[in-house]
Amino acid sequence: MNYTFDFNAVSLGPLLDGLIVTLKLTVAANIIGVVLGFPLALLIMSRVSAIRMPAMLFVEFFRCTPAIVQIVWFFYCVPMLFNVFLGSTTMGILALGLNLMAFNAEAYRASIQAVPREQVDAGIALGLNPLQRVLYIVLPNALRASVPVLLTNGIVIFQQSALVAIVAVQDLMYQAKTLATETYRPIETFTIAALIYFAVSFPVTQIVGHLERRRQVMTS
Amino acid sequence: MTSASAPLVSIRSLHKSYGPHIQVLKGLDIEMKPGERVVVIGPSGGGKSTLLRVMMGLEKIDSGSITFGGKPYISSANADAKTAINTDVRRSIGMVFQHYTLFPHLSVIQNLVLAPCKVRGEKKASATQRAQALLERFGLGGKANAFPAQLSGGQKQRVAIARALMLDPKLMLFDEVTSALDPELVAEVEQVILQLAEQNLPMMIVTHDMWFAKNIASRVIFCAGGVVVEDGPPEQVLGSPREERTRDFIDRVFHIKQ
Ligand SMILES: Nc1ncnc2c1ncn2[C@@H]1O[C@H](COP(=O)(O)OP(=O)(O)O)[C@@H](O)[C@H]1O
Ligand SMILES: [Mg+2]
Repeated sequence: MNYTFDFNAVSLGPLLDGLIVTLKLTVAANIIGVVLGFPLALLIMSRVSAIRMPAMLFVEFFRCTPAIVQIVWFFYCVPMLFNVFLGSTTMGILALGLNLMAFNAEAYRASIQAVPREQVDAGIALGLNPLQRVLYIVLPNALRASVPVLLTNGIVIFQQSALVAIVAVQDLMYQAKTLATETYRPIETFTIAALIYFAVSFPVTQIVGHLERRRQVMTS
Repeated sequence: MTSASAPLVSIRSLHKSYGPHIQVLKGLDIEMKPGERVVVIGPSGGGKSTLLRVMMGLEKIDSGSITFGGKPYISSANADAKTAINTDVRRSIGMVFQHYTLFPHLSVIQNLVLAPCKVRGEKKASATQRAQALLERFGLGGKANAFPAQLSGGQKQRVAIARALMLDPKLMLFDEVTSALDPELVAEVEQVILQLAEQNLPMMIVTHDMWFAKNIASRVIFCAGGVVVEDGPPEQVLGSPREERTRDFIDRVFHIKQ
């Protein structure tokens, strides 16, 4: 190998433009996932199977199919089936957002069900009614416990968002591919793209680790 | 209406099972007079926690009834029937558990004022003032704004006791509240309960600590196999038990202690 690296051949401008699109996709998908994942969690815990079953089907569909298939499916099938096309970025956000919603619903469900029974018992012993027990004990307990998983899921979506490049959303990955072709410098271009993804993800994973350690101390 | 001899709690023929195969309480009868401090002892798995949980209104029962201060409190005709629980009566009973009692997302003072404010509609300022006074009394004046994770086990249990007292209970239930503590922290919690005993607060206590049982009890009940085996003053039940099973149990517990 006598390849000479030339990082100067890669202009950062388009990559940073792409990063902004990627961050927009991530933030929008996370808003959908964090907000709507919660009511979805309540649906999958419903005692009424007519409510629970469709909700579980929705969650399992997203958990049990590859994200890339979901994105492509969204792009080609939704416009044909429902006769709507909302622009590639919007479609990308919806596909990523619904995917995240399914994963976050599971995170919320797990943390609600992990609230120790003793906490609820203590609420009953203090005379709190069922609604008060949910509002003041179960939910605050569960939401706190779910934060690390929500952050992890959120950062996974940040990375998964690279998949929307295949349907021509001009995100970081799309810009990297374009640039690589234009400059004939795929190694440098994708190295820089990878470093950008890493630079955003790594601090978040560190925060997650910190939160988890703190929680372990708090609950022991 | 409540004369000195009228029972505070009257448990009649209490049956409780978990599912079809685990019969835990098999016809329990206990009468508790006002001002009594009943210590319940017995082998592990004998249904002591279940009894306290039923009295706190945390469990469905199969059959039997409990009255409190002469009022119907808990009853069920048979295992398939719904257990009727008078929630007004339930509010006059407080309980402290072995584990995970405090709400981890709330500070000490918030733990104390939550129920008074939400359940009784007490003003936050007045509840906070009462809470602060209780904390001072239990040697926790400086911990009002700490979070449960920052407290030792003994401090947590003292806060849990203070939290229950905020609702002025007419009966306190303590289920092995020192069992999960490091030995050096047991005394500070027991001291607080002894302090309450001096005020004649009625209580029912499950404990394996024989020193504590002797010092706190006005009456001891030995419970095994889902029934009351022996019931009497502490000197008798702990000192010279009549029943063979009680004697065996007490020998064993003392033996382990040494
Ligand atoms: N929620 C439950 N479900 C099933 N079995 C239980 C449950 N709680 C307690 N038991 C069983 O009931 C019996 C009595 O338990 P418990 O009341 O905790 O006894 P103790 O407090 O005297 O040790 C034990 O055999 C225990 O395994
Ligand atoms: Mg027990």
